[in-house]
Amino acid sequence: MSDPVFECRSASVTLSLSGGARPIISDINLDIQQAEFLSIVGPSGTGKTTLLRMLGGLLHPTSGEVRVNGAILTGPPEGVVIVFQDYANALLQWRTVAANVAFGIERKLPAKECTDRVNAALDLVGLSRRAEDYPWQLSGGMQQRVQIARALALRPAVMLMDEPFAALDAMTKAGLQDELLRLRDQTRTSFVFITHDIEEAVYLGDRVAVLKGSPGRIEDIVKIELPSLRDQISTRQMPEFLAYRYGLHKAIGHG
Amino acid sequence: MSQRLPKFPFLGRLLMQLPSPLGVLPLIAVLIVWQILQKGNSPYFPPPSAWWSGIVQSAATGKLLPACLASLQTILVGMVLATAAGVMLGVLIGLSRRTARALGPLLEFCRAMPPPAIVPLAILFLGYDERMKLTIVVISAMWPILLNTASAIQRIHPILLDVATSFHLSFYERIRFVAIPSVMPSILLGVRIALPLTIVLTLLVEILTSIEGVGALMITAQRNFQSGQLYGLLVLVGLFGFFLNTVFSMIQAIILRRWPPRSIPA
Repeated sequence: MSDPVFECRSASVTLSLSGGARPIISDINLDIQQAEFLSIVGPSGTGKTTLLRMLGGLLHPTSGEVRVNGAILTGPPEGVVIVFQDYANALLQWRTVAANVAFGIERKLPAKECTDRVNAALDLVGLSRRAEDYPWQLSGGMQQRVQIARALALRPAVMLMDEPFAALDAMTKAGLQDELLRLRDQTRTSFVFITHDIEEAVYLGDRVAVLKGSPGRIEDIVKIELPSLRDQISTRQMPEFLAYRYGLHKAIGHG
Repeated sequence: MSQRLPKFPFLGRLLMQLPSPLGVLPLIAVLIVWQILQKGNSPYFPPPSAWWSGIVQSAATGKLLPACLASLQTILVGMVLATAAGVMLGVLIGLSRRTARALGPLLEFCRAMPPPAIVPLAILFLGYDERMKLTIVVISAMWPILLNTASAIQRIHPILLDVATSFHLSFYERIRFVAIPSVMPSILLGVRIALPLTIVLTLLVEILTSIEGVGALMITAQRNFQSGQLYGLLVLVGLFGFFLNTVFSMIQAIILRRWPPRSIPA
């Protein structure tokens, strides 16, 4: 196996809140390979978002370490980008869709290359025709795709996603799930995908990590051995799929 | 690529900034009644015709136009400087709790000071000139802009700041590309509140100090018992304020057409 893109070695985060120091996540050990899709599931309050913010360099581990391509993480790492659940607040509402997608690269790349990348990213998420619209003129699913395009324009090695589809309806969600898998195959990007939806975690993931407890720990990591070409109808009906779903519900403590 | 920004609603929004012609009717009716009922030339309530002749007289001496230009200059330059100062201080105070705490008492003290009370001090330091006029206007008119900006900056959603951090923006880039644009509706609201203040303060300083301007003409007219001219100047000032406010509303509508309509404070 090649070197992992991301490594966490017994990383913990303790936040000092008004009620004193509170450990949020503890002793996290994770490896993420290139082009791997890692889902992280867990009930609310187990520090899923904290874990993701730590991987994104927005929070420093209180102990342990996080490495990206072998280098210890000290701030938001190059090549790692976060897609937030709250797309309305994560987008710059006063910029057009195209200008939003350019936001991460416009200060680093020459204008020509920037335009090319923006067009390519908008193509990938199917929003080329809405490039000159403003985010507030789009539906929720489209706004989330703008955020995904903005992340893709950076050509990231790792995309961290914090319950990106939680606020969307089931049909939009299914469409975007398949889009993500397609993007992973096309761009060889690694994904860390946080969700509280176990079916979504199994459907998308190569592996599913279960976060549990308070402070949150990685309870289990399940390798999902389903055919890599997934289908919303047939995959979800496979006995293996249902078995994973059952096992993960058990692991989390539902019934 | 298709331009999907709705053209018509935007034009509609722009036209909505214009006052309704119907709203001027009561005013015209009052003026006509006044003109009809007023017999002779009262020193207290001169008829509108006397206002007009007073203005014409003032224009004939060649004093009216330079006075108008002087006042307009103070108002516009004052507005620009007050906006720059208000936004800069507002951003600093909004971004850093420490700055807010350090500057808070001083700012509260300055804000509580009535502008006319600063006039004698300003004269002492700066003398009777345009700079003094501007200083007072700027110091007094920047507050609504400063306070609106600071509170809007504090209300920026933390996710947006996380986005800026995660995209490696420098401190300056955060202010320029994220903070200021996201509070633009509030800045413009502050400017809109400050605009009439600027007009009031410009006239006030001119009346108090007789530095060239419409305010100085007014106090001269009053001292010479030219009440017709005084009323005429008053109407002129009113029209002035009305005109500036309408122009600013249109500028505001043009700038804010890129922002979500619901984010625009009324």
